[in-house]
Amino acid sequence: MLVSSLASKELKVRYKRSVLGFSWFLLKPLFLTAVLSVVFTRILRFGGEIRHYPLFLLPGLLVWNCFSSSLSAASTSLLDNVRLIRSARFPRAALPVSSVIANSVHLLLAMVVLEALLLAFGHFPSPAVPLLLPALVLFLAITTGLSLMLAVWNVYYRDVALFLEVLLQAWFYASPVIYPADSGLLPGAISTAIRLNPVSGILEIVQSLLYYGRTPPAWAWISLAAWAVALPVLGMLVFRHAEPAVVKEL
Amino acid sequence: MKLPAGTVAFRGVALDYRLFHDRSVTMFETMMSVFGRRTRVERLRALDGVSFSIAPGESVALVGPNGAGKSSSLKLLAGIYSPSAGSVETSGRIASLLDLGVGFHPELTGAENLYLNGAILGLDRAQMNSLIPGIAEFAGLERFLDTPVKFYSSGMFMRLGFSLATACDPDILLIDEVLAVGDAAFQKKCYDRIYGFKGTGRTIVFVSHDSDAVLRLCERALWLDAGRVRRDGPTAMVLSEYLSDASAKHVPAAVSPREWGTREVEFESVILADERGTPSNTFRQGQRMLVRAVLTTRIPGGVDGLVFGFSICRPDGEQVIGVNNLELNQPLISFEGRAEADVAIDLEMLEPGSYLLGLALTDPARNRDYHWQDWFYPILLLGGRKEPPLRLEEATWTVRR
Repeated sequence: MLVSSLASKELKVRYKRSVLGFSWFLLKPLFLTAVLSVVFTRILRFGGEIRHYPLFLLPGLLVWNCFSSSLSAASTSLLDNVRLIRSARFPRAALPVSSVIANSVHLLLAMVVLEALLLAFGHFPSPAVPLLLPALVLFLAITTGLSLMLAVWNVYYRDVALFLEVLLQAWFYASPVIYPADSGLLPGAISTAIRLNPVSGILEIVQSLLYYGRTPPAWAWISLAAWAVALPVLGMLVFRHAEPAVVKEL
Repeated sequence: MKLPAGTVAFRGVALDYRLFHDRSVTMFETMMSVFGRRTRVERLRALDGVSFSIAPGESVALVGPNGAGKSSSLKLLAGIYSPSAGSVETSGRIASLLDLGVGFHPELTGAENLYLNGAILGLDRAQMNSLIPGIAEFAGLERFLDTPVKFYSSGMFMRLGFSLATACDPDILLIDEVLAVGDAAFQKKCYDRIYGFKGTGRTIVFVSHDSDAVLRLCERALWLDAGRVRRDGPTAMVLSEYLSDASAKHVPAAVSPREWGTREVEFESVILADERGTPSNTFRQGQRMLVRAVLTTRIPGGVDGLVFGFSICRPDGEQVIGVNNLELNQPLISFEGRAEADVAIDLEMLEPGSYLLGLALTDPARNRDYHWQDWFYPILLLGGRKEPPLRLEEATWTVRR
């Protein structure tokens, strides 16, 4: 209830006074896809081996965008609402959580448009495509868990939000967004390490279901599910433990 | 145990703050302090074993100097802070007028903001739908609900905040000196609504430095001092003890009183009194200060065109106001033998505190200084806090022979 109000406020406010308005949810990943496609098919060329490289990029990019925007917004969500927190009683976790929800609304809408594009170019989804929904729910749980922790830590150390920018940049390249996780491009050890990355699971699942039209590999589900249990629990513990002190610290 | 709605109970409540001596807390500094220097963090105990309970329907004021723990207590009541020790229990719906319109987003319209902030207060859309007409009407903003609040004047903004905060039919109302809302007409409406709450058995907890407002609204007062309850009882009693304690803590004057002049005309006696004529050296905001002087003169035939001046100085001797009847185009004083002269002084008290009143009798036409009493009468002014410290509103001289 509160979360949905806050999330819809975030969506409304973001597009106030912008001409293209809500369509930015699609324009941003499309621009990014265009840039990355040019870089990796014309300049670095390895993307050329993947059929319709931009279409391979898009599903992962949408998920990654949702992930990184959620974390950035959530990490400053408590600090951005200092006065509100200090003058009203409400579950403060709603602030970081609503940042995640607002971004996942974008993700879902963009997914619909993406599917239309994929179909147009002959990439038919796997029969297992209904599994996409539970997979996204697990992914949101991961994102929420991390958001809760970052929001609290950033109150104590403003370095967290600043460091997050750099970290997300590195994390992006360490995640199978611009390259497929299961390709022969990667040496064995690195390939294993990448499977431990909390976002690798969802990326592999989204690409498998939508782009390749195949059943996602077991490792992706295991990685996704494991993180989706561990991170929200950890996030809630951290948040619950720190909440009373954080309110006074702000 | 279920408490009846509107009950408040503090049991041995303590509240600690961490006090940083340098607010720029970064990870680097923390690492530096881990290797070597001690962390420069201090615990500040804002409340220390505070216990009291408030029954449904009571109006209670929290009074005390700044930093005594009044606002911390309100935040504990509102559930914003949780106590470091002890327990805070409240029952029923709480409305807090701590910071009005704080959750409003400038880009959203009035109505959108009401739904959003209603959700923060725990009201769902359906409940808000039924409340919004009343809120808009009370704030007088029916025509502006579709306007983004960034186009509101600050008065409109506060009015909407107040209307929302008090719309949800609370059992407990927390007020933290926010009643400077909008214009005079709306302020009256706000007070009427608050008195309305009081009339219907709602619990009110009020924090204010305005002793008149406290006296009007509350029958019971808690005097908090350095995080402890120092006195708990009927408002008038607690307030007078608190105010006289505040004046006892007078800042010691850096200058000592002095008297000089020819004494051909002099002050025989001077009494400071309030507007009702009761002798007093403590004046509250909006009160008139009366200087009642008995003047005598040895000059045969009396004096003509006497100038009676006064000055108000800070404890360090620095003059804030210095004026006389000549400068203010008031009648000059003429008398023979003995006369009583009253100066009624209306001050806009911008910075409360202790001051020193000085008086003077002069005759500029003859270039005479008859009697000066510099830094002579200590006075204590209580009221709001603002800059600049003092501004003269009016001073009148009357002479009775």
